[in-house]
Amino acid sequence: MTPAQTAQAARRRRLTPRLPGAGMATRAAVTGAACLLSLLLPLLLSQYAMSVAVTVVTFAILGLGLNVVVGYAGLLDLGYAAFFAIGAYTSSLLELHLHLSFWETLPLAVIAAAISGCIIGYPTLRLRSDYLAIVTLGFGEIVRIIATNLNVTGGPNGLYGIPAATVFGTSILTSNAQYYLGLFLMAVAVAVTGLLSRSRLGRAWRSLREDETASEAVGVPATKVKLLAYIMGAMVGALAGMFFSARFGAIDPTSFTYNTSVMILIVVIVGGMGSIPGMILGAAIVVALPEVLRPISNYRLLLFALALIVLMLARPQGIWPARRSRPGSFTAPPEPAGEAPAPAGRRSEPGSVLLSVAGLGHSFGGVTAIGDVSFDLHAGEILSLIGPNGAGKTTVFNCITGLVTPQRGSVLLGGRSLRKLRPHKIVRLGVARTFQSIRLFEGLDVAENCLVGLAAHQGRLLARHGLLGRTTAADRRQALRWLEFAGLSGQAHLLAAQLSYGDRRRLEIARALMSAPLILLLDEPGAGTNPTEKQALMQLIRQVRDSGVAVLLIEHDMDLVMGLSDRVIVLDQGHTIAAGPPAQVRSDARVIDAYLGREETESAETVEEVLGWRS
Amino acid sequence: MSAFLQYVVNGLTSGAFLALVALGYTMIYGIIRLINFAHGDVVMVGSFAGYTIVTTLVAQHWPVAVVVLVALVAGMAITGGLGMLIERVAYQPLLNSSRLAILISALGVSLALEEGVRIIFGAGFSSYPNILPAANFSLGGAHASYVQLVMFGLCLLLMLGLYLYVHRTATGTAMRALAMDRDAARLMGINVERTILLTFLLGSVLAGASGVMQGLYYSQINFIMGFLLGLRAFTAAVLGGIGNIPGAMVAGLLIGLIGSFSDGYVSSQWTDAIIFAVLIGVLVFKPTGLFGERVAERA
Amino acid sequence: MIKVYIGDRYVYDVRNYAALARGAGTMNGLGLRAPVTAVLAALALTAAACGSSGSGGSGSSGGTISIGVPVPLSGDYASAGTDILHGAQLAAKKINAAGGVDGKKIKIVSQDDACQAQTAAQATAKLISQGIAIAAGGYCSTAALPELSAFHRAGIPFVMDASTNPQLTQQGFPEAFRTIGRDDEQGPIVASFITKFLKDKRVAVGNDNSTYSKGLAQSTVSALKADGAQVVFNNALTPGQSDYTSFLTKIAQSKPQVFYYSGYYPEFGLMLKQAKQLGLHFTMMGGDANNDPTLIKTAGSAATGALVDTAPLAQFLTSAKGFVSAYQAAYHTGPGPYSSYEYDAVGVAAQAIKAAGSTSPSKIISALHGISSYSGITGSFHFDSHGDRKPVNYIVTIVRGGSFAAYKKLDPSTGQWVNVS
Repeated sequence: MTPAQTAQAARRRRLTPRLPGAGMATRAAVTGAACLLSLLLPLLLSQYAMSVAVTVVTFAILGLGLNVVVGYAGLLDLGYAAFFAIGAYTSSLLELHLHLSFWETLPLAVIAAAISGCIIGYPTLRLRSDYLAIVTLGFGEIVRIIATNLNVTGGPNGLYGIPAATVFGTSILTSNAQYYLGLFLMAVAVAVTGLLSRSRLGRAWRSLREDETASEAVGVPATKVKLLAYIMGAMVGALAGMFFSARFGAIDPTSFTYNTSVMILIVVIVGGMGSIPGMILGAAIVVALPEVLRPISNYRLLLFALALIVLMLARPQGIWPARRSRPGSFTAPPEPAGEAPAPAGRRSEPGSVLLSVAGLGHSFGGVTAIGDVSFDLHAGEILSLIGPNGAGKTTVFNCITGLVTPQRGSVLLGGRSLRKLRPHKIVRLGVARTFQSIRLFEGLDVAENCLVGLAAHQGRLLARHGLLGRTTAADRRQALRWLEFAGLSGQAHLLAAQLSYGDRRRLEIARALMSAPLILLLDEPGAGTNPTEKQALMQLIRQVRDSGVAVLLIEHDMDLVMGLSDRVIVLDQGHTIAAGPPAQVRSDARVIDAYLGREETESAETVEEVLGWRS
Repeated sequence: MSAFLQYVVNGLTSGAFLALVALGYTMIYGIIRLINFAHGDVVMVGSFAGYTIVTTLVAQHWPVAVVVLVALVAGMAITGGLGMLIERVAYQPLLNSSRLAILISALGVSLALEEGVRIIFGAGFSSYPNILPAANFSLGGAHASYVQLVMFGLCLLLMLGLYLYVHRTATGTAMRALAMDRDAARLMGINVERTILLTFLLGSVLAGASGVMQGLYYSQINFIMGFLLGLRAFTAAVLGGIGNIPGAMVAGLLIGLIGSFSDGYVSSQWTDAIIFAVLIGVLVFKPTGLFGERVAERA
Repeated sequence: MIKVYIGDRYVYDVRNYAALARGAGTMNGLGLRAPVTAVLAALALTAAACGSSGSGGSGSSGGTISIGVPVPLSGDYASAGTDILHGAQLAAKKINAAGGVDGKKIKIVSQDDACQAQTAAQATAKLISQGIAIAAGGYCSTAALPELSAFHRAGIPFVMDASTNPQLTQQGFPEAFRTIGRDDEQGPIVASFITKFLKDKRVAVGNDNSTYSKGLAQSTVSALKADGAQVVFNNALTPGQSDYTSFLTKIAQSKPQVFYYSGYYPEFGLMLKQAKQLGLHFTMMGGDANNDPTLIKTAGSAATGALVDTAPLAQFLTSAKGFVSAYQAAYHTGPGPYSSYEYDAVGVAAQAIKAAGSTSPSKIISALHGISSYSGITGSFHFDSHGDRKPVNYIVTIVRGGSFAAYKKLDPSTGQWVNVS
């Protein structure tokens, strides 16, 4: 097919409407056929091919586990073989010394891996992903070196005479039996990681992968969620380790090297990050391709390496990348009769002080971003924070929301200090925000972006509406409600990256509102919007206020500020220079100075031109 | 006391070779955020290029000084070209894709280089002819050879040259600008593709120099020598703060010293574990390495 | 535009294809088509790559007898594996030139085990599916263990050439044989040389933390202690480094008279060179994995005087000079440390097949046990009830004039170390 023909065919396919139901049926049929084929495989293949298949299954389990860390949570892990090793060694040592059976060691090996996931995860949670990569690499090597140097692990000899697994009294010895055992364990891994992916935890991982700062700022408990990714990934890896040791009856440290970690990573990336069928396909390619190339053994790794490069050039997203939602897939069942409509957020007494900022100060290196800022935000009002570029407005926001811990001063929410709280805790207490440069989760669809906003109140691991739960009908209804509120309900299935600029702003606001905040902090929502969009935005912000949420606004667009604000605070070089109703601030001499500089105060007319203040 | 001094001498020597390699990691990471897994293998290719030249020229009885010079220059040229080729073929088309895709491509390049060299030169070890004078001297009880001194000086000279190039020339400024913000740099009229290519050239030239010098100094090379070397150099780059050129130099020497002290005072079998433990310890307290990173966080 | 060719077959244009795949992917909402095309492309690549090569052999039918050789042919240990495979091929060539076994030609079928357990399991399954009568080979214990278990299950004898781990023959598998001595047999001989011939009392022992090396170090250390020597240093190094100066400086701190290294030649060669640079003067002696010419090339003049204990290899036996020159002629390099053991493994396998008069594995196993003395190039030997080689001989060689020269051997009658005649 020529490129033109292919493009044409693709266009035709795109024009053909897809029925969601038909797609589901096809998928079910394909999945069913694949399951049947995998069950019948031993009838079709030779012993040799079956031993390859057992290795494929092992790597598929490993891929599924690493997929949680790399694919879901976006944390690069170069030492995943450590968990493979920990599963294998724990299970083998327990079998050899305590004479436990394969199945009895299973929970213990999985727990040991979970603990080691904690150990590696905990000290490194503050690190950014690339530093994390080398720390995981180091951890992997340390585990291997310890296994090589200690006597209890058998040193370089490793452990021998590990009994085979037994199922209903039969030892699993032949390739076929091992294959079925592996298939069973793989099915467990598929089910577990599949459920995790659909859980709230899975969504939190995806948001973390897309933008860690933003996800914390909308209420995702990032450190806990990251740690859980390591732990869950480690537990699946331990499963593969146990299977490996029972398969060979002997393990030694050379099976768990950095190269093994890299092979597993290749499975994940080649298969397609985040995709479960991708992991199985990736494992099949990584294991089977070198096997197919056996007849030319001298060149097989070279060809494998070249194939890897070509594959990445041709399909950087992997062979079978994770599926996206299709049009019309986001709906919510109607309210069940008798259930009261969702509460419209926590109401406060109008006029009472919600947020109190006093003597706030912070410097970056030698540069004072804010020197001394104080103000109160009252319930039911829109308060604007204005000032020239570099006045310290965004730093004030970052200090309030916990992205920056202020060096001086206090931030009190309803009398409670927010200092040194993690951003997600501050969201839970009722302060939501948007960003100056819009920070959506670009790779997630609009509905998911919105649903992430629920994380602030669903961050407990084992609670009924906790991280491990699935998205409930009530969750979806709430998301739909705010999407409708923001005028985005028709675009719920689109990727955030596909939205127009104005819609992106509105989605960020809808996402922030999902956490049922007391206060919404908007950082230049009007930047870059056209006049029509601006009108709609102002309407939206008023609606937010009317729904009982106080608004703190940073804005340069004076039409917006003057049209919306109940009060205005002016910052210059980190200090409050004026505060009061818009009309009063507008005529304040110091404000005019701040905007135009002291020497150029000759004409109030120019000021009006520059600031766009028109009465 | 003499043992301590000896460990310092030993550590600085291996550290200097390491630092040259670490610079490549740090420059390439700084500019395209890629952990270039193939970099250690570029060093290896440099070693083999030098090996071929040295054995050929020695067989024709060229004077030692000329052989060394030719091998060094040619080795650097070959790896420089190789670095650019790798960037063009395997990385450039992926610059705008997911960072993991390019990482896997780098792993593919690494494996391809190893296997390619294995197929050409065989899987065994190759040994440079021992042509350098072995004369050594004693300093406070520690032994060092004159060759060691010259090699160390040469490493420092190359590092200094790179530092001046990156900080004092227009192209160097372009590189640093690119590391901060690729799109902004493009808008400022910087030829992004060419600057990235140039970064690979520089990093790979240093890798080649390190490869040839190690070959001449240690003699023994093989197709997987780049692995352990790359691992430790990468560790050094991270320890120094990714993207930080002076940081990589100091951390390279530091890793050499830590390795040497670990071999001497603890046990060689724990050395890699100790190096990684030090790294993890440092990162826990200083998450961007000892000297801070020099790449801008995505806003 | 990059055109990809494999052999002379044009596969596709990388750029073009990438654009197509990307286009199809986005326009399709990532439907199934894009992944399927990609898989097809990958398979096409694979198929193109192996299109030229034929399928595997078909066992002992059709006038040939297949001997399986599982060895590492890729990865870190590819070098050792290649040397071993060459030994096997040379043995087959010699046997076939002499008319084969009962008129049938010996065919060497090799599979890469990459020194990894999983790859080894597949290599073994592949060999069994190729219908081998007997296996001879192996290198790493990591791979040898799963290989031996798989051959045990299939009932096929496995003559190991390089795996010295005592564990292998202690499991009671009738299929296990080896032409090399066990780790725990070399140690006492080394200790005897150090204490009785060198008469050194302060000994440093180093290993590289591999199964073989650590086993040899342990048996040497206990034998040294039993012989009354003082082990002043006993530790492992990290193999693969280029710089062992600090390791050596640490050894020098313990003031040994002799340093015995039970690891492999690459590290020992570097250490010989670096010890001279550091001005260290104790005797350096290496185990039987150090008998490799690379050691001398690396260390240069610093190798002179270094001692290496080894089985009485072909190089030092007038009776087997032919092997070395044939190897040199065929592969343009000297044999590796295990090439000769593999040569003997294939040789003894062929003799057993001849004695059994059949390619039935069980008959070959009995025949292997029945051989009373096989004169191989590594000396005459037979197998004990475990399949271990008996007797095991070692001599000590010394580096002189740029090569290994036979130096001393243990006279079993007097217990004294005498010149190798």
